[in-house]
Amino acid sequence: MFENSINGGLGRGNLGVLASRHGVGKTACLVHLATDKLFQGEHVVHVSFNGNVEHVMNWYKEVFREISEYKSLDDAFEVYNAMRANRVVMNFSQENISVDKILQSLETLIKQGSFSADTIFFDGYKLTMATEEDVRKIKEFAKAMNVEVWFSVSPIRPDVSFDEYGVPDSMKPYFNLVDVLIGLKYNDEKSKVIMTVVRDHDRNLPKPTGVALNPKTMLISE
Amino acid sequence: MSLDLSKMRNIGISAHIDSGKTTLSERILFYCNRIHSIHEVRGKDGVGATMDSMDLERERGITIASAATSVTWKDHEINLIDTPGHVDFTIEVERSLRVLDGAILVLCSVGGVQSQSITVDRQMNRYHVPRIAFINKCDRTGANPYRVVHQLREKLNLNAVMMEIPIGLEDKLKGVVDLVTMEAVYFDGPNGEVIRREPIPASLATEAALKREELIDKASSFSDELMEAALSGEEISEDLIKAAVRKGTLSLKLCPVFMGSAHCNKGIQVLLDGVVSYLPDPTEVENRALDLDDNEKEIVLQPDSAMGAVVLAFKLEDGQYGQLTYIRVYQGIVRRGDELVNTRTRRKFRVGRLIKMHASEMEDIQEANCGEIAALFGIDCASGDTFCGSGLSYAMTSMFVPSPVISLAIYPKDKKSQDNMSKALNRFTKEDPTFQTYVDQESGQTIIKGMGELHLDVYVERMKREYNAEVTVGKPQVAYREAISERADFNYTHKKQTGGSGQFARVAGFIEPFTPDEDAEGLDKEYQFANEVKGGAIPTEYIPSCDKGFQQAIKRGPQLGFPIVGVKCTINDGAFHPVDSSDMAFQTAAIMAFKEAFPKAKPIILEPIMKVEIEGPTEFQGAIFGTINQRRGMIISSTEDGAITQIDAEVPLAEMFGYSTVLRSMTQGKAEFTMELDHYSKVPASVVDDLKKEFADKKK
Repeated sequence: MFENSINGGLGRGNLGVLASRHGVGKTACLVHLATDKLFQGEHVVHVSFNGNVEHVMNWYKEVFREISEYKSLDDAFEVYNAMRANRVVMNFSQENISVDKILQSLETLIKQGSFSADTIFFDGYKLTMATEEDVRKIKEFAKAMNVEVWFSVSPIRPDVSFDEYGVPDSMKPYFNLVDVLIGLKYNDEKSKVIMTVVRDHDRNLPKPTGVALNPKTMLISE
Repeated sequence: MSLDLSKMRNIGISAHIDSGKTTLSERILFYCNRIHSIHEVRGKDGVGATMDSMDLERERGITIASAATSVTWKDHEINLIDTPGHVDFTIEVERSLRVLDGAILVLCSVGGVQSQSITVDRQMNRYHVPRIAFINKCDRTGANPYRVVHQLREKLNLNAVMMEIPIGLEDKLKGVVDLVTMEAVYFDGPNGEVIRREPIPASLATEAALKREELIDKASSFSDELMEAALSGEEISEDLIKAAVRKGTLSLKLCPVFMGSAHCNKGIQVLLDGVVSYLPDPTEVENRALDLDDNEKEIVLQPDSAMGAVVLAFKLEDGQYGQLTYIRVYQGIVRRGDELVNTRTRRKFRVGRLIKMHASEMEDIQEANCGEIAALFGIDCASGDTFCGSGLSYAMTSMFVPSPVISLAIYPKDKKSQDNMSKALNRFTKEDPTFQTYVDQESGQTIIKGMGELHLDVYVERMKREYNAEVTVGKPQVAYREAISERADFNYTHKKQTGGSGQFARVAGFIEPFTPDEDAEGLDKEYQFANEVKGGAIPTEYIPSCDKGFQQAIKRGPQLGFPIVGVKCTINDGAFHPVDSSDMAFQTAAIMAFKEAFPKAKPIILEPIMKVEIEGPTEFQGAIFGTINQRRGMIISSTEDGAITQIDAEVPLAEMFGYSTVLRSMTQGKAEFTMELDHYSKVPASVVDDLKKEFADKKK
């Protein structure tokens, strides 16, 4: 359903962004996207910046547990093990690490570690602090490595304003570089997190994905 | 000697390699002895003052050699228990943690929370050991205790709270600000033994006030009194803060953080005060044992000297006077001449010489009270044994002992070495339950088994050094397991009529794979037996014979000769002969039936998969990734922190032989790795063929 709403997915060499205020559940959403890829047998790199790999692993475990219960998988244990082999968590604890270094490490993993990544997820990368040049580099990297790249973005600065879909205005400078932009916003009335496609490849028209998430489990609920 | 248990602390010091654990132990001994020496050898101050690091160095040798050392700090008795660092010796770490009541977690102010710190922290959690942290090496370039505190919170999930802030850092480290008393503490004198307390320097006043607020805020969740005092804005007394922090620490919900530099003699005395103030005394820790007379029911031991004695032997040491057994008394009192029972062997013995180890000498004592650490001479036992006084039959909760994953054949060089070798092996197996040895029936070789290459290396080296036994070693061999992946039926008739009494038995049923319960232990983990025979097709008395036969059959799998695990054998039919059937006949029938069914059950081979942690400079990241990849490994994660990268991976043990050499040469010795058994997993088909070929060659 989600992939349909962005015309069959993001596509290799492209950049996708999940934007929201702090605490709406981007990580959960990102892990969901990653798990979905893993279910399709793809290889995934999860890039995190919070210094605790265990946290990230627990997210995956939790999301997998919920999906496997939902789908009532019989051989959950084997499926999970197979998926684990296709996932690498890369963590950068250093503050203000440069884009070049991150990309270099990723390239090392893909080339020397022979890890044929299909999608790279940047969780909590301070994209809003990055320069246009940085974003361009990441995009070039995505093209060169032939991978999809997803970001989760939430600005830390308090003065950033959010539009009605949950997208911060500090994202504006990179609009042209981002191929798919999705806003996450908590809706009080429905007690659901609403996903909106704000930008889909070349079209700028916002349209609802028709996807809402249960804020507790982050499972798609509608 | 004081019997006041509230003035006793049994503590350990744990740290990542090179965090300065040894230096810290040295200083603790030094400061504690110093108090002794002022007391006892008056007028020798000149000696004390000129005591240089060489002397400390010598003292250090003693700390390392003795498993437990008693020191006195401000009329509190502190037993320092040595905890070895390497994961191959996990069993020793866990055993010492069992004995400790509290611990100091030492961290480097530059390195912060490193891989070993995480392992140790996890083990401490498992044994519920309250801890305080000490951020060492604050004099080093790049020191940042604030970052380390942050890491304690983030990586170890500890509710870390600073008890001190540093006065200056790196080469400008002058002392610390004690946030409880709100004083600046300086350490004067050539060895920092003179403590000078002064008002806080103006430049640090704001920060100190801020951090004190944080301290009170965190502590007040453990004390309503403190909370009220803080809210009403009253003057908060030292005792109130200390009591709250103590309560939080004991419940493992708070981790007080101290800092300084052992090397520069700064901050140690305040840390020792912290040990006394915040770590538990033996009465505050609950210890449990299993009552062997009452179906292994769990009982809480009482630190009451009037009750029957319960003692754990936690470490053996071979000294010049014979075997020294370190013990901790958990309940009751042990006196010279008492009779105790080793509950494992059921053997009685009399307590002969009872001693206490001090930094450099041993002291003969008449009795050891509960909570105390002491040592016995000349007791024949294995480490981990429980001794009980009359009438009791307890075992201290059995510690989890992993089974060995690697084996090695060893050959003595000559007759003398052979004698010494068997002496050494006898001793090592007593010391370390994860180290096992046996003589292979077929080849006559002596095989040693252990938890890793390094583990076995160390024992081979010790044989040479301590027992003068020169041995050559064979190629290391991985401990594979065999298993089945499908259900298969059997129906086997055993018939033999060659003179004398005949043999007859028929068994029918099936074998199937099963997943053991998580808490299953021993054989239950590997094998199950079910009897579904109806109508007396097999007489009841022969059912256990079938069970025995299957157990015999799983000892050596037909594929590689390794034990078979995770198999359930069910019998549902059979036949017997009134004269020719016997226990033996049914056992044989079961063995043959198993052999018949096994190949049909899609047999597989399992191999030990190691959790490998590699830490090294980021520039070698690619090369390290490469080595994991070549070794059928799976990269789990990598963490880059500045110039250092830590890589976690899972790699089959079979591929890890000689890895330390490869890693060292590839990274110019700058990377190090540790590994431990994670789980068993199926060997890929391509590798199985090689293994089978090797096995066949060996048989020829």
